[in-house]
Amino acid sequence: MNTFFAALSLGTSRGAIFALVALGLVIVWRGAGIVNFAQMGQAMFSTYIASTLITNGYSYWLAFLVALLSGAVLGALLDIFIMRPLSNKKQSELLSSESMRAAVPVIASLGILGALQALAGIIWAAEERGFPAPAKQEGFTVAGNVLPFTSFDVFVVCVVTLTLLVTTLFFTKTGIGLAMRATALNQEVAKLSGIRTNRTRTISWAISGAASSLAGLLITPTSNLSPNTLDLVLIVGFTAAVVGGLDSPVGAVLGGFILGMVISFVTFYDTPEDVFLAILAVLLLVLIIRPRGILGSKDARRV
Amino acid sequence: MRAVSNLKVKSIARTSLIRTLIFTALILLVGAQFDAYNQAQLAVVLILFIGVLSITLLTGISGQLSLGQGALMAVGGYSTALLMINYKLSLWVAIPLSIISSAIAGLLLGVAAARLRGPYLAGTTLVIALAIPTIANRFMSVFKGDEGLQVDVGYPPQWFSNLFGEPTYEQWQLYVALPFAAVALFFASNILLSRTGRMWRSIRDHESAASLAGVNFSRQKVYVFIISSTFAGLSGALYGLRGLVGPSVYPVSLSLTLLTAAVLGGIRSITGAFIGTVIVVFLPDWIELGLGNFTLSEQVSNFLPALISSLLLILTVVINPAGVAGVRLHKHK
Repeated sequence: MNTFFAALSLGTSRGAIFALVALGLVIVWRGAGIVNFAQMGQAMFSTYIASTLITNGYSYWLAFLVALLSGAVLGALLDIFIMRPLSNKKQSELLSSESMRAAVPVIASLGILGALQALAGIIWAAEERGFPAPAKQEGFTVAGNVLPFTSFDVFVVCVVTLTLLVTTLFFTKTGIGLAMRATALNQEVAKLSGIRTNRTRTISWAISGAASSLAGLLITPTSNLSPNTLDLVLIVGFTAAVVGGLDSPVGAVLGGFILGMVISFVTFYDTPEDVFLAILAVLLLVLIIRPRGILGSKDARRV
Repeated sequence: MRAVSNLKVKSIARTSLIRTLIFTALILLVGAQFDAYNQAQLAVVLILFIGVLSITLLTGISGQLSLGQGALMAVGGYSTALLMINYKLSLWVAIPLSIISSAIAGLLLGVAAARLRGPYLAGTTLVIALAIPTIANRFMSVFKGDEGLQVDVGYPPQWFSNLFGEPTYEQWQLYVALPFAAVALFFASNILLSRTGRMWRSIRDHESAASLAGVNFSRQKVYVFIISSTFAGLSGALYGLRGLVGPSVYPVSLSLTLLTAAVLGGIRSITGAFIGTVIVVFLPDWIELGLGNFTLSEQVSNFLPALISSLLLILTVVINPAGVAGVRLHKHK
């Protein structure tokens, strides 16, 4: 029974972080039609910035804010300098076909990932370093028993829930949010209605950058920080996004929690070595039974 | 009609054969000028060239992006190593046999992939690339976990030494890789020039038009995966013969290196595949050469090649997506 609750609590706190990663992927997918494989590279980079600030004596919260901001700025810059010029090249021969239009941005994002990881290695060296948590990482004690849920887990779940609420409000209540949804729905029509689609694209890259930086800040206290640590998080986040539906923010959150539970229960009841095979199994299962994902819309798979 | 098409087939085969012979002669000539270190590097170029060709066929010609070629290379590597260790087969028998297992892996992957498009395919193959090497730890008794299996190219047979003189180990590595690379080049060139190549390009350029023209595109997609997997498996088998077959030899970054090479050189052409492979393999040496006496700290020099090749990849995609060999693009269109 104790194992069960331990698995449940780990699944919840990890699931919350995966939900955030998946949400970041979904936002860029809806805004720009690209799956951004560089996303956790960006997160790694801004987490390193936070880590540097903290080791130089600045407070955790200042570093936290700076990391979120730099994540947003980096996301916007990547869109402006790499992805936007790329999407304007649609006339070129190589990009003339549907399949290559889908493949080339993925290749570009992999290039960005490689460049960010190498750059982080050059600036901060490749050794793993720890990253502090803003709350205690020991379990709560009730009547002498140590519970598997820590105050840091509570912090993670609260921060993620708050973020999800803010994003939902942003997409449903603000002008920019509505413009972004319109662009996701139909770019041509949105353009004709006077929405500056280039700008909404860049904003979705920025929001996604901030969201994934937050995920990076929340996961590194338990996994340590190195240029490659967050690769696995990206894989899980991608699977979560596909499970939930690549074009559905609510689905992304759902997928994140599903993946969190699957990984946690496999770790506790089986062995951690099987985690990747379990992720692959979940991914293939969803792609075979319901390729558009649990909450994805029907034509989401059209690239 | 039949006579005409036979003639065409013959002329395609002749073109490919001439290309292959020129390639072989050039490699032998250049290899003879190199010192031992560069001969070993050239052998790596030949080995990875085969892997890059698998991406040229899969992504460049038929438009499907896979990030899991490293996993298919692992399939080829492990099959060859197991055949050589458990059945004491020579590499000249083990490698052709191991190609069968990578073809089967390609078939399974292709059946799954025929349903997937663009980023879905890329992400799924990336997960596969991560998941497959963990099998090595799951079945410790067969695959020996992280330790891996030790295999190498061994020594040349007696008749070879009698005919050509005793080669050094590096030369022998080169001589082992060359015939396989030449065969791979011959087949790739044939495919690109033939009806099959046109069919695959039609899938890439317009799926529904291709299917209206009578191309059964889901079946062709599976074929593409099988063929491309045999190339990857062959490359992986030779790659393992440099000394070790283990999870650390086929990391996810290997798949990305192959993709980088394919894109830098020009993803649609065989020449491009070769140019790209040369760039990726020799880049660290060139950087060292370019820096001259100026020494960098280890921290910087470890990551500089990766940084430069990633930046080159981004620049290629944004500025000149056709790659170095892009001028030849029209010929293969």
